[in-house]
Amino acid sequence: MPAPLSPTPPAALEARSAIAVQGLHKSYGSVEALRGIDFTVQPGEIFGFIGPDGAGKTTTFQILAGVMEATAGQVSLLGKPPGQAQLNIGYVTQKFSLYPDLTVLENLRYSAGLRRVPAARWRERAPHLLGQVGLDAFGDRLARNLSGGMKQKLALCCALVANPAVLLLDEPTTGVDPVSRREFWDLLAAVASTGVTVVVATPYLDEAERCHRIALIYGGELQQMGTLASLRQGLGLQRLEVWAADIAQAETVLQGATVSGLVDIQTFGDRLDVLVTDPGVADQQVRQHLAQQQIHVDRVQHTTPTLENVFVNHLRQQGLDPPYLSFPTAQTGQTLGKVAIAARSLQKTFGSFCAVDHVDITVRHGEIYGLLGANGAGKTTTIKMLCGLLPASGGEIELAGQTANLSRPEVRSRIGYMSQKFTLYDDLTILQNLTFYCGVYGVPKRLQRQKINWVLETCGLQGQEQTVTAKLPGGWKQRVAFGASVMHEPDILFLDEPTSGVDPLARRQFWRQIRDFARRGTAILVTTHYLEEAENCHSMGFMVAGRVVAQGSPSQIKAEQPGQLVEVVTDRTQAAADCLKHHLETWRVAIFGDRLHLVLDDLDGDLPRVRQWLRESEIPIQAANPIPFSLEDAFIGIVQRAHASPS
Amino acid sequence: MNYLRHILSDRLWSLIIKEVQQILHNKQIIFLLLFPPTVQLLIFGLALNPAVTHLSLGVVDYSRSADSRALVSALVENQVFQVQTYESRQGDLENQVRTGQVTAGLVIPPDFSQSLARHQPAHVQVLIDGVDANTAGIAQGYMKQIIQRHTQTLNAGQRLPVETEVIFLYNPGLLSSWFFVPGVIGVVLTLTGSLVSSTTVIREKDVGTLEQLLMTPAAGWEILAAKIAPLFVLLMGDVLLASAIGRVIFGLPFRGNYGLFLLLSALYVLVCIGIGILLATLANNQQQVVLISFFFNVPLIQLSGAIAPIESMPPFFRALSFFDPLRHYVQIARSLILKDVGVEALWIHILALSVFAVLFLGVSINRFRTQLS
Repeated sequence: MPAPLSPTPPAALEARSAIAVQGLHKSYGSVEALRGIDFTVQPGEIFGFIGPDGAGKTTTFQILAGVMEATAGQVSLLGKPPGQAQLNIGYVTQKFSLYPDLTVLENLRYSAGLRRVPAARWRERAPHLLGQVGLDAFGDRLARNLSGGMKQKLALCCALVANPAVLLLDEPTTGVDPVSRREFWDLLAAVASTGVTVVVATPYLDEAERCHRIALIYGGELQQMGTLASLRQGLGLQRLEVWAADIAQAETVLQGATVSGLVDIQTFGDRLDVLVTDPGVADQQVRQHLAQQQIHVDRVQHTTPTLENVFVNHLRQQGLDPPYLSFPTAQTGQTLGKVAIAARSLQKTFGSFCAVDHVDITVRHGEIYGLLGANGAGKTTTIKMLCGLLPASGGEIELAGQTANLSRPEVRSRIGYMSQKFTLYDDLTILQNLTFYCGVYGVPKRLQRQKINWVLETCGLQGQEQTVTAKLPGGWKQRVAFGASVMHEPDILFLDEPTSGVDPLARRQFWRQIRDFARRGTAILVTTHYLEEAENCHSMGFMVAGRVVAQGSPSQIKAEQPGQLVEVVTDRTQAAADCLKHHLETWRVAIFGDRLHLVLDDLDGDLPRVRQWLRESEIPIQAANPIPFSLEDAFIGIVQRAHASPS
Repeated sequence: MNYLRHILSDRLWSLIIKEVQQILHNKQIIFLLLFPPTVQLLIFGLALNPAVTHLSLGVVDYSRSADSRALVSALVENQVFQVQTYESRQGDLENQVRTGQVTAGLVIPPDFSQSLARHQPAHVQVLIDGVDANTAGIAQGYMKQIIQRHTQTLNAGQRLPVETEVIFLYNPGLLSSWFFVPGVIGVVLTLTGSLVSSTTVIREKDVGTLEQLLMTPAAGWEILAAKIAPLFVLLMGDVLLASAIGRVIFGLPFRGNYGLFLLLSALYVLVCIGIGILLATLANNQQQVVLISFFFNVPLIQLSGAIAPIESMPPFFRALSFFDPLRHYVQIARSLILKDVGVEALWIHILALSVFAVLFLGVSINRFRTQLS
C-alpha cells in the first residue's frame, strides 16, 4: 500500500536531491495513470523522460509543478511539497504558454509579475535573458508573429525570469525545427550548468541523448532509468549499419535468414540498421546471406545502438509493437519510375517577401522525397502550391502527368494529403470520419468496409470505432488520419510532418507503411523535423529561406558535407563547449548528452588546435574520435553555411 | 458519363451525411436555432409598442377654479397623462421638467376661469421636455387634441366644419404587434441564419479540417451545398416556429397564401445562409466572424423597416434601404401575413431577393477555393 502524501518529505532525500519522488501514484477515476514512480534528480542535472503517448509523462509533470495532487506517494522539490515550491519552479508546457497578443517584453513582464520579481531585478534580468536566447532584437514583436522555435525560447525565458531552481519542460520542442531545437538544448545545457535542475520530456530520442540521465516511462511505471551509456550497455546489443545495393531486397533476405543474435532489422533510407548481440559473427553472416542472393554489400559499419534502439527494444519485449498489416490493394507498381510530381522554377511571393524562390523538385512514382528545412523555410508553402491549395506566383507544376487545372476532381482523387494541423473531425466518431473520407474520395462501396477495417486494425482500434475522435490521444489521431488519407490508394501522397508527436514504435510502423506504398508505385513527398526518420527518404531537398540549397540521397548529402565530425569525450562538457565556442563558430560546437560534437573543416589542422585550446583552459580530453555525419549534423551545417553566405 | 454522375452524387451524399452527423453531435446549434428566435419574437412582439401612456405631468394651477380642475381631469381621463405633482410656482415646475421628474408641465393662469366666463380665449402654457423628441411630439399632439376636444365640449352646439372619420384597414385594432412581428420574423431569420451558417463554415477553418476538405476531390459548390442543405432544413423549421408563435401568441391573421409565404421565406433563408458563408470566407476565425456579422447585421436591421418605419428615414437612407435584403423580406412578410396579395404586388421584392441569393452564394462558392491564400 503506498503511503499517503505527507507534507514533510523524508530527511534523507531532502539532503542532496533537488527533486525526490517516491511511490508516486495517480488515478483518474478507475484509470491508473501512474503506478508507483520513484526517482531523484540532483541539482544541475538534466533529467529526461521518454515514453509513448499516454504513458504518464504529462501527469508526472503536472504533479511536480504542483498543479495537480498526487493520489499517493511522496514528492518533494527543494525539500518542500510541490505546492509550496511553486515560486522556485519554472514550468513550460506542450502548447506554447504565451499570450499571442502581447509582445515579447510584455509576455516576459507578465511572467515576472506573476512570480513577484521586483521591478529593479526585472529591468536588469530581462535584457540579459533575451540576449541569451537571441530575442533581444524582437522585444516589441507580438508573440503570435514569432516562429515556433522563437516562441519556445521565449517560453523558456518566461520560465527562467524568476530565477527558478527547478525547470520543468513538458515536450517543449515538439514541432520545432532541428536548428532551433539544437539551440534550445544548448540553452538548457547552459542553464543547467548554473545549477538549475532540469526535468524534460521529449518525443525526439536524439534530443533525449543530451540528458544526463534518461527515464523510460510506460504504462505509468518507470521501465528503465540511467545514463545513455548505461542504457546502451543494458541493452547488450551492437548496431551494424549495412550499405547494400538493393536495400528492400536485402531487408527481405535478412528477415528470412538466420543470423545468430539478430534482434531487429530496420531500413533507414539507403542503409539497413541491424541490431545484434555479437557484431563480429553477425557481420560475417550478414555478408554471407546477402552474397548468396547476389546482393552487393558496399560496407558494414559497427557502431553503438541509439536511444531509439533501447526504447523500441524495451517496448517490443512488452509486446507493445503495433501490428503491421499490409494495405489491401490491387496496386501493382506499374507506374514505378515515371515522374509524378515536378516543380520547375516554382515561386511564391507574399508582397515583397519571397517565400519560395525558384524551387525545382522531381518526385517519381515509387520514390519517397523528403523536404527538410527550418520553420519558415518555405516547405509548407511549397507543398500547398504543389497540391493546388495555393496559387503559385511563378514557375510550372506537373502533377500526375497534368500541368493545368490541377484542382480538378479527377486529379485530386489521385492525391492523398495529410497535414500537420491534424485533420479528422473531432466531433465525429472514428467510424464516421473514416466513412466520410471513403465516400468523399469515391472509394467503391464494396471496398469501403475492407479499407476501414484495415485502418482500425493497424491502429489497434477495433471495437472502439464508435469512440468520438476528440477522445483519442494525439499520436493515435495522427495514425487514424494517415489511414484516412490513404484509403483511396492515392498515386501521389503529400505528408506534412505526419509523425509530429507520434511515439517511436508507431513512427516505425508509419514508415513501414509509407515504404510499402512507395514500393507499389505511390510517389510520396514528406516533410519532417525528425532527421533520423528522414533517413527513410530515397532523396531529399534541404530548404533555406525559400531555396533548395542541397538535394540528393541521405548518403550523398552526408558525404558532400565538407569537413569532419569529431566526438570529444570530456568530464567538463559544458566548460569545454563554452571554451570552444569562443574560438569556433557556435554552430560547429554541440553538446550531445555527456559528449561534444565538433564540425572541423580540416581535421589534421584543427584537431590539435582544439586540443590546445582545451589544454589552456585546463579541460582534460578523454577521447576525440572522428565519427560519420548524422543527417542532423549535415542539416545544421548546410543551414548555417547557407545563412552565412547568401548567394 | 453515367459513371461520373454516380461518383458525384456519392461524394455529395457523403458530405451531407457528415454535416448532418456534425449537427447531431452539436447541441449548441439546436439551442441556437430554438431559443433566441423564440425569445426575440416574444420580446419584440410584446414589449415594443410606440403608443405613449402615463406621461408624468406637473401642474401649476393659479386659477384654482372648477374650470381649471375640469381641464386637468380631461387631460388625465384616458391615462395618457398622469399628474405627478401640483406646484405652486411656475419656477418649480420648470425645474422639475429640467431635472426630468416630469415630462410635461401645464400652467393655468389666474384669469383662466374668468376668461372662459367672458367667452374670451383663455391661455394655458404647456412645457414639454423635448429631449426625447418622439415622446415630446406625441405628448404635444395629445395635449393639443385633448384641450381642443375639451374646448369643444365647453362650447357645445358649435360643431367643427369638417369631421374626419378614419377606418383602419388590415390592422383594425391598430395592434402594434401586428406591425412588428412579421418584421421580427425577418430579423430572427437574418441573425440566426447568418450566425449558424458562418459558424459551421468557420469551424472547419479554425480546426484546420478545411485544408483537408479542399484537398479532396469535392468541388467548392459541393462542399457548400452539403453545408447549406441541412441548415436550410433547420432554418425552415425556424420559419415554421416563428409563424406558429405569430399565429398562436400574437394572433396574426396570415391572410395571404401560406405556401407562397413559405416559398419566399425559403428564398430569404438562402440569402441569410449566403450572407453567413460569405462572412465566413472573409474572416479567419470564429471571433472575427462574430464581430463582422455584428457590423453587418445591425445596419441590415436598422435599414429594413422591421422596427423603425422606412418612411421616417431621410431620403438617402430610404434609397439605401433598397439594397437591404431584409427590407424586401419584411415587405413580403407583412403583405402576406396581414393582407391577401399575390406575386403580382411583390414581384419587385422577389426579384431583389433572388438577385441577392444568387450574388451571395455565387461569390461564396467562388471565394471558397481560394480563401486559404
